[in-house]
Amino acid sequence: MRWPARNPWLIAGLALIVAATAVVFAVVDRVPDPEMSATLAQRKPDVARGEYLAVLGDCAFCHTRSGGQPYAGGRALATPMGVIYSSNITPDRETGIGSYTLGDFVRVMRLGVTPDGTRLYPAMPYTAYAKVSDEDLQDLFAYMQTSPAPVREASRATNILWPLSIRWPLAFWNLAFLDRSRFIADGSREAQWNRGAYLVQGLAHCGTCHTPRGLLFEEKDVSGRTALYLSGTEFDGASPINLRGNSGDGLGRWSTADIATLLQSGRNANSAVTGAMADAVRHSTQYMTDQDVAAIAVYLKSLSPAPERGRASFIASDSTIGSIMAGSERSPGGRIYLDSCAACHRLSGSGENSTFPTLAGNPSVLSSDPSSLIGVILVGARAPSTVAAPSGLAMPGFGWRYNDADIAALATFTRSSWGNSAPPVAAAQVAKIRDLLRISRPDF
Amino acid sequence: MSSNDGQTSRRDFLATTLALAPLAVAVAGQTAAQSSKGEQLPSNAPAPDHPSVPDYRPSYFTSVEWAFINAACARLIPADEHGPGAVELGVPQYIDRQMATPWADGAIWYMQGPFFAAAPEFGYQSQLTPKQQYRLGIKAIDTLCQERLHMPFAALTAAQQDDVLKQIEKGSLTSPDLSLSAFFSAFLLKNVIEGYFGDPMYGGNKDMAAWKMIGYPGVRADYLEWVGEAKPYPYGPVSIYGKRG
Amino acid sequence: MATTSKPVDVVIVGFGWTGAIMAIELAQAGLSVLALERGEDATTVPNWAYPKVVDEISQSARNGLLQNLSKTTVTIRHHKNDRALPYRQIGSFKPGTGVGGAGIHWSGVHSRVMPQELRLRSHVTERYGARFIPEGMTLQDWGVTYEELEPHFDRFEQVCGTSGKAANIQGRKLDGGNPFEAPRSHEFPLPPLTDPPTSVLFAKATRELGYHPYPLPAANASRPYTNPYGCQLGPCNFCGFCSDYGCINYSKASPQTTILPVLYRMPNFALRTQAHVLKVNTDSTGKVATGVTYIDAQGHEVEQPAALVVLAAFHLHNVRLMLSSGIGQPYDPDTGQGTVGRNFCYQLLNSVNLFFNQNVYINQFMGAGGVGQAIEDFYADNFDHGKLGFIGGGVIWGRQTGNGPVRGIPLPPGSPTWGSGWKTAVKQNFLHAGRIESQLSNMAYRGCYLDLDPTYRDAYGTPLLRMTLNWQDNDLRMSEFFGEKLSQIGNAMGAISMSGRVLKRGDNWDTRAYQSTHINGGTAMGADPKTSVLNKYLQSWDVSNLFVLGANTFAHGIGYNPTGLVGALTYWAAANIRTNYLQNPGPLVRR
Repeated sequence: MRWPARNPWLIAGLALIVAATAVVFAVVDRVPDPEMSATLAQRKPDVARGEYLAVLGDCAFCHTRSGGQPYAGGRALATPMGVIYSSNITPDRETGIGSYTLGDFVRVMRLGVTPDGTRLYPAMPYTAYAKVSDEDLQDLFAYMQTSPAPVREASRATNILWPLSIRWPLAFWNLAFLDRSRFIADGSREAQWNRGAYLVQGLAHCGTCHTPRGLLFEEKDVSGRTALYLSGTEFDGASPINLRGNSGDGLGRWSTADIATLLQSGRNANSAVTGAMADAVRHSTQYMTDQDVAAIAVYLKSLSPAPERGRASFIASDSTIGSIMAGSERSPGGRIYLDSCAACHRLSGSGENSTFPTLAGNPSVLSSDPSSLIGVILVGARAPSTVAAPSGLAMPGFGWRYNDADIAALATFTRSSWGNSAPPVAAAQVAKIRDLLRISRPDF
Repeated sequence: MSSNDGQTSRRDFLATTLALAPLAVAVAGQTAAQSSKGEQLPSNAPAPDHPSVPDYRPSYFTSVEWAFINAACARLIPADEHGPGAVELGVPQYIDRQMATPWADGAIWYMQGPFFAAAPEFGYQSQLTPKQQYRLGIKAIDTLCQERLHMPFAALTAAQQDDVLKQIEKGSLTSPDLSLSAFFSAFLLKNVIEGYFGDPMYGGNKDMAAWKMIGYPGVRADYLEWVGEAKPYPYGPVSIYGKRG
Repeated sequence: MATTSKPVDVVIVGFGWTGAIMAIELAQAGLSVLALERGEDATTVPNWAYPKVVDEISQSARNGLLQNLSKTTVTIRHHKNDRALPYRQIGSFKPGTGVGGAGIHWSGVHSRVMPQELRLRSHVTERYGARFIPEGMTLQDWGVTYEELEPHFDRFEQVCGTSGKAANIQGRKLDGGNPFEAPRSHEFPLPPLTDPPTSVLFAKATRELGYHPYPLPAANASRPYTNPYGCQLGPCNFCGFCSDYGCINYSKASPQTTILPVLYRMPNFALRTQAHVLKVNTDSTGKVATGVTYIDAQGHEVEQPAALVVLAAFHLHNVRLMLSSGIGQPYDPDTGQGTVGRNFCYQLLNSVNLFFNQNVYINQFMGAGGVGQAIEDFYADNFDHGKLGFIGGGVIWGRQTGNGPVRGIPLPPGSPTWGSGWKTAVKQNFLHAGRIESQLSNMAYRGCYLDLDPTYRDAYGTPLLRMTLNWQDNDLRMSEFFGEKLSQIGNAMGAISMSGRVLKRGDNWDTRAYQSTHINGGTAMGADPKTSVLNKYLQSWDVSNLFVLGANTFAHGIGYNPTGLVGALTYWAAANIRTNYLQNPGPLVRR
């Protein structure tokens, strides 16, 4: 073996490595400025407000493991490369954030960088929290430092293997995608609208789930500047709905009261939440004040429809019911619907008021990506038990009863009946979700 | 509290996906497909589906007993112009499989002594479990058939078999070992009818043929639009495993 | 050696309807409440999810939701001189198990009580004279009035989302309901369910006969409903799997659908399952309950101290706990002395199957537990008993509860029981058969009572409860009277033949065939401590911090299904604990 002499590629490669290393040291090896107002030090923090802000941000859910002490972290997030655990954010000085300064706290909330310079994975939604005002972060910090009981419980290390565990590339991701600007009120809008926008874009971090992402998983819009914002997306296994004004897969036919009721109780006359949104309602939105929920509803209702191309439409029609009642329904999906679904969702797809969701015109049924619909059919769904609606009404799963082709036919039927008009679902799409959810196939 | 809200958390999954985002380049080509779920709704799947099979071999019954069970099934619910009989629908398999359930060992009954003979109104007072009922009952009937007709029950003509069963049912053919009339009505006939009309997943009622015969729609369990109609229901049966007859 | 658990304000033994009601009412009053349930927790999904639960083999043929008798049962005899034998298999009555208890597998018929039934002794004496009461019938007033209970009947109906039609709102008469109805404060929370074919025919026939049909109140929701606690019910879809089954659609009222979602959110409430209570403990005076002793899931004995003890298990367990704890004086049928076990009663069910022509579609597989039309022309003392010579009465109904072939296909008289003839009969009749029934009050008698069995023991080594009961002449003559009415109505409905079972003189209580789970009495409530175990607030006369709930508190049998009255009595007791007892713990009625 001999060294290649004067290879221009090698020289260029070495130069690139040197340059990259320089950039890395320039960008990474630094604890960035949290960008706080200088006058904040004179302000007296309000702990009670801070407690409410913690609810708005839904901090407790991710930072409490099942059966664990509040905020002590340890909620496992399984990944293909290993498990990561949420951190202890109780005021314990050694294992929690008891030794944080306000600046440390604001830095981690806005930039995802801890006092020792460690970069957080953006599982922590700091791209949204970057919108939050200095005052709110100060109050939140005051609450977090005083109220939760300190718990000495070391945050569990991830078991992600080297080199995947290296976190410095996150600095580049931040450079490219982190919008460091605070929320800027729109002077042409009412205060209520601005409050709603501030919450949605900031602490409530709705875009984390509902805004489509780019190649490197960055949210395509974090500030509501374009019609992509909150226009619905898909992650493997679920399809958070379009929250914009589209009348098919969006909230176009919902009133602000429908939205508010859903956020405060987990259901409304026609719909119910499940999955991740059920957690959000269970731990956060049900405890929001009437004013804040109304503000969120007003803001969401103001969002223009996303581009309609490729999206489903809905024009109510009762043509489906007649064929079923007459005994002449022969489509495979229609027959499965009659056998397994109509008992609650009724032949008319209307469900039952505030009890069993309506499928006719349901945004989750009409969503461009059918992942959530498929997942619900496979494993079932459970509405959260809330103060306003304590019955956690549930739907059983049918993944054991039907194979992929059956479920595809059923999903297709629900997406094309009662006036629903969304593209069909293929068996391969069901197979993919089944694998993700680890639901075994029926053996026939 | 013990209330298990059964939180199916897609959020765990979402967080997973996000956590991977900055590393997406590094792990290009690897998907998140193996990712596991956090909490999931408890399964609502029923007992496993074991419909009847053509070449079933009994687990509990001996070959002699199996011949009796098949012969008795063929007489209790014969194949005729109204529809298939118990044997055709797998009822013997149903009964053999039931012998492997806790019920067959008397596990859902109070089986502590002392045991006394009593008026029929006091119900079951025997110390025999269903398994023992079948073992002793079949033996006693075959013994009676051998004594009187010199052949086991299974080898008799259909007319002879019917006659034996009738005599057992009304109590005119008895055994010192157990009450044959009780074995007949509380076990043999009862279990045959169960298997004939039960869900196919238990081994009988093959292809829901018994349900189709009487016009029973099976486990559809939803008649809101039809209950006030007093008309024939328009669809055939559905089984627990979602098959249609 | 028993371990001692952390004391609580209230310990509740048994966690079905009465336990759940008492738990939420006392937890909402701020007390720390612990419920001990010997079975398992269960909820709609997954336990009663479609289609797993609509399985006739596991649920009806193998009693999936019923008490496992191998652990504990009762013994039964007809007369005190007989030897009692164990109730080895489920037959005549069906005790439930686990959280929700019999509130899971009940049908949902949700009646109240006729005011005169609560003071039947006084009523009969006033109308017919004291000599009208036969020798040996230990009829007695309950010590509580309908007017006192009315708000609590109303409350329980609001909680259950009961479907029905009022005929008497505070004295204002309305059409479409039961003309014999006692005044009620409100309309039913939901309108009546759709009548299935049997009920349509029954209503038409009984109206033509001059009777007064009305929609039976059903705790099966006819519409989506949110109850006063905030719990939600979905509408009944007439799936035909009600009695013996948990409800797939959140339609049947149960502790799980109407109370537990709220109760389980309360930090001052706790539930321990697999906790089998052996006895109520008392202090050295025997006048104060100190808590209970139970066996936990690991088989360890645990002592649970509590300031207030509530017995809320099923009838027979409550009575047995009183007897095995030595609280109150056991009843002696020879002397008539003692109260615990006295006035044990049941209910008589006459069931007549109707068979129609092939063009009449009954579709018996459709139905709901509580749906139906009923008449009360012969209920309690709604009719003149003077010439009839019996006391009591009952309700006659044309219900369509839902039935499948494993549960038994009724056949016309003379049909073969097997073979081709049987096949022909089931094929011809399955879609064209219906059923009408009469459910009759069983009076209390000196010789019908409960005590502890001297021979048989349960899996924990404690004596079984012994039932001594048989039908008496009064009951059987009443039953024969109702048999005639049933056949008159069946004919008027157009039945071409009828079969079934009507109890008549000479019949004994048959423990094999399902009769009714409505056993009652044994720890009667009343105004006189010599003849009752509990005062009118269901408080023990002997131990004032012990309350006992359930149909065992009835002074004698009633004609209605008992759950409505059991629920109302529980709300009544809870209200009195909250407003009176807690302010001043001690006897609420002076002896």
